[in-house]
Amino acid sequence: MSPSVLICDDSNMARKQVLRSLPEHWQDSVQTATNGLEALKILRGGSIDILFLDLTMPGIDGVGVLQGIQKLKLKLNVFVISADIQPEMQSKVKALGAKEFIRKPVKAEILVNYLQQHDLL
Amino acid sequence: MSEFNLTEDQLDCLQELINIAMGQASDQLARYLDTFVYLEVPSIESVDAQVLMSGLSEQKNTLAVVSQGFFGHEGIRGEALLVYQEEDSGRISDLLGYEPDEASQDEQLIDISSILTTTFLNVFARQIENQMSYNAPKLLPHVQSNLAEHVQHMPFTWDIALKVNINYQVTDYSFNCNMILLIPEKAITKIKLVLDRILADLS
Repeated sequence: MSPSVLICDDSNMARKQVLRSLPEHWQDSVQTATNGLEALKILRGGSIDILFLDLTMPGIDGVGVLQGIQKLKLKLNVFVISADIQPEMQSKVKALGAKEFIRKPVKAEILVNYLQQHDLL
Repeated sequence: MSEFNLTEDQLDCLQELINIAMGQASDQLARYLDTFVYLEVPSIESVDAQVLMSGLSEQKNTLAVVSQGFFGHEGIRGEALLVYQEEDSGRISDLLGYEPDEASQDEQLIDISSILTTTFLNVFARQIENQMSYNAPKLLPHVQSNLAEHVQHMPFTWDIALKVNINYQVTDYSFNCNMILLIPEKAITKIKLVLDRILADLS
């Protein structure tokens, strides 16, 4: 069965880039959110297995979403995909529970590789 | 962005390419300053050439403008202006641990500007399958009198200014600087074609 996936990014192009990097048989079970607030609303439903999360977004940003996930004690796999590549940011999001930090622009082989490493594919 | 006549998709694409370029420029700046740079979503807008020039020349609290020319292939070229405000000058010196004498501050402004400009444009160029070369960065003190003259002596006529408003917050300090890219219309047309190609690859 395909996992239930959420892609959260304020850029339509960035969301498409992530979507296109995912295995084809996953495509039907992918939802999208354009900001942190929207993402948290969907995540509260508790049905998301994998979240691909941008950091720099207006309103509730990626760090805010990670904090929200901790507060709500949600169990899911979060992969941060961001242009803010500073080492401090990478360790910060990992400390907040992100499985991996993937730098933008996302490359399909890197993303798939991480999914395999975490036994999600 | 009316002067660019960008579609919503083109604008989204350009914004994302700029975000990625900004992210790497911030990373370079953070390494240079040995600190963490807090990054906000940079806002971009296009500015009419004349309006921009008169605006900059009249701005009383503009401390300095650092100007650096760039050129790639296929007619993509322009001039990058990094604009600093007076109230930020002391903060920049504090941050860098420099004595507030003028020479070192000028050097620092040029260094910071060049790091931001070249990293930003290198990453941007790579994404639009181009490659940039640069002129030496120049500091234009006394902006009010020099800017108009400086712009007149640029080796190309530019029609559109792409203004990227950057707000850098560096741990305890924060300083604002605007990056303004002056770009000839031919280059914009070229960039649009590349944006369309990127978007077509994704659909």
